[in-house]
Amino acid sequence: MDLIESYKEELKLIRKPWTRVWVGAFVLLLILLPWFGPEHFTYTATVIFIYTVGVLGQNLLIGYTGQISFGQAGFLAIGAFTFGHLSRFGVPWPLALLGAGILAGLFGILVGFPSLRLKGPYLAIATLGFGIAVYQVFVNSELLSGGRMGLSIQKIEPVFGLSRITFNYYFNFLIALFFTLATYNIISSYMGRAFIAVRDNDIAAEVIGVNLARYKLLSFAISSFYTGVQGGLYGLFMGYLEPNMFTFMESITLFVAVIIGGLASVEGSIMGAAFVILVPQVFSEYREMVPVVYGVTILIVLIFEPLGLYGRWFKMRLYFRNWPFR
Amino acid sequence: MGKKSLWIGILLVLFVAVPCFNGASAGVPGVTDTEVVIGWSTPLSGPAALWGVTALGGKAYADYINSQGGVNGRKIKVLLKDDGYNPTRALSNLQEMRGKVFAVTGLLGTAVVHTCRDFFSENKIPLITAYANTRMWVNYPKDKLRYIFIAYPDYEDEAHFLTSYAIKELGTKKIAPFYQNDDYGKMGVAGIEKAVKESGGKAKIVARVPYEVTERALGTHALKLKESGADTVLLYTTMTHGALILKEMGKIGFRPKALATFTLGDPIMYKIAGEVWEGVYPAGAGNSGIPGADPAADRLADILKKYNPKIAGKEYLGVFGAVSMIYTVEALKRAGRNLSVEGMIKAMESIKNYKPEGVGAPATFGPNRRHGVNASRVLHAEGGKHIPKTEFKIFKPRF
Repeated sequence: MDLIESYKEELKLIRKPWTRVWVGAFVLLLILLPWFGPEHFTYTATVIFIYTVGVLGQNLLIGYTGQISFGQAGFLAIGAFTFGHLSRFGVPWPLALLGAGILAGLFGILVGFPSLRLKGPYLAIATLGFGIAVYQVFVNSELLSGGRMGLSIQKIEPVFGLSRITFNYYFNFLIALFFTLATYNIISSYMGRAFIAVRDNDIAAEVIGVNLARYKLLSFAISSFYTGVQGGLYGLFMGYLEPNMFTFMESITLFVAVIIGGLASVEGSIMGAAFVILVPQVFSEYREMVPVVYGVTILIVLIFEPLGLYGRWFKMRLYFRNWPFR
Repeated sequence: MGKKSLWIGILLVLFVAVPCFNGASAGVPGVTDTEVVIGWSTPLSGPAALWGVTALGGKAYADYINSQGGVNGRKIKVLLKDDGYNPTRALSNLQEMRGKVFAVTGLLGTAVVHTCRDFFSENKIPLITAYANTRMWVNYPKDKLRYIFIAYPDYEDEAHFLTSYAIKELGTKKIAPFYQNDDYGKMGVAGIEKAVKESGGKAKIVARVPYEVTERALGTHALKLKESGADTVLLYTTMTHGALILKEMGKIGFRPKALATFTLGDPIMYKIAGEVWEGVYPAGAGNSGIPGADPAADRLADILKKYNPKIAGKEYLGVFGAVSMIYTVEALKRAGRNLSVEGMIKAMESIKNYKPEGVGAPATFGPNRRHGVNASRVLHAEGGKHIPKTEFKIFKPRF
């Protein structure tokens, strides 16, 4: 439906004026939220921003490159504890955050090596093993996990007279925005097209000149970098870390976010992150029924919208764009 | 198009955002003429869901107080939310309760409480009791600790006491701790080590056998314990793992003396572990009583079951949680009709030698004391019940 006449047009982030309107309105709404919305909205939105960073990364790996991974909790833990230790050594937070991402990225390359030979369920199991191994290492090493009382992290003091919640909101909003734009950039570059080629048919990709080893490892490295940064942001936000925050359930949460949001979609990643945070939160008063509600919602979404939340959104947009013609 | 779309965008935002605006309410948050709201976030789902019964106990006690007309003319409303034992969700629940609750009670889980602890001083909301490792409060700044009131035993003090009891009263010479490989288990081991050191060579640790919380096959762990030649095993485990290891030890004919931390003090252990539970010496936490052995705890359990029949069979945890609400109710009574956060803090500080509904060891709070009760006693599993073997041993408050 989109007629694109030049490469420059193809690279444009937003092509339709109406898209510009709703994206602008949405961003403006997010900017104004702390001033209008109740404070717990702001808090929940902050958690969504933090998760968005990780889900975007995992979508690059799972959605765009087609490498199924269950090691997210491991990268998250590595990122979080790297950030924790660095900030305790007095490293300023931007560097500590970068360090968290880089170390997680290096481990991503390490885990990526099996991906050169393994596919599908076999790769999933290898990465699953990694996630669990990292958890075990942190649980068993007091030096790494910060000892018996976990690791306390100094929070950033708010500036400009903002309250802590508002400050955290804008801080994480800007970082999530940065990573969202970076992801758009990656997928519309040669690298992104290579990822997609690897996913669609790796042999064909190699035939047309995509270096398989390089791009598979790169995908692991970048996605782990994102997840590591998410871990760092999480540590900074919570002010406290302990290994039990990074069990296998965390991997599942991120995986669900990718699938529910929509594979290979940036908007879907944001929606997926919002889904996994909002559903348990909104239904928290249903008490012991929360996991049931959560599980059933996932089922409903997948049955009625296999393409995820983004799929539904896309169809809605298409409907209105062609309205009244169908 | 540019300008036009900008205006449309702004209008859209205003439409969406305006209804979200909620004006600030006057007065004390969570308090009206007829009602006082108490927040309670607890794991009602997830790995620690069983412990959520503590909140049901607390809620049942609030219902009981309400049926008698409430406190100073106000009914107690419990705002109960599930956090699934997840710190992010717990903090999220608290944020949502902000402005709606007068006090929070009964937070559960070390990671949860540690993550949420700054919330209370930042928002000037009192936290009345939390079920978590007490060490996090030891070096906590005094101005922040002002809003915190804890009645929970210290794991290390308890392990020290249990081990000393075993050495003196049960003739223990070779000890092997079987413990969860985390903070909780390791603090237990630290207490055991301390007591063994103080015994002057009367006893020694012959093995340290850790397990992971995800493990279920404990056969090799049982063998390790047997091969160590221990005459006493000390359990710092969850209920499930305590039961599993005793069953495995039974299978290989290894029946040493067994002592266990207070989390296994619930007589429900007979249902989980079966006959191997007979003869075990669990600890009894000083902040609560044992239904079936303490008349006061039985009386309280009967009240709770009347208001929530689901507590039947889980009386121990029900009472354990109700105690938190009893402290809250007592402080509300003392604070009088004109409720304020400062008044509530003063009221909590005025609690001296107080046993909630006659249950547990006496608690004392004060301007410089926030660890109301740090006490433990030894129980003995006999014929389906846990019978106290000692009086409460009161340890020094830690903060």
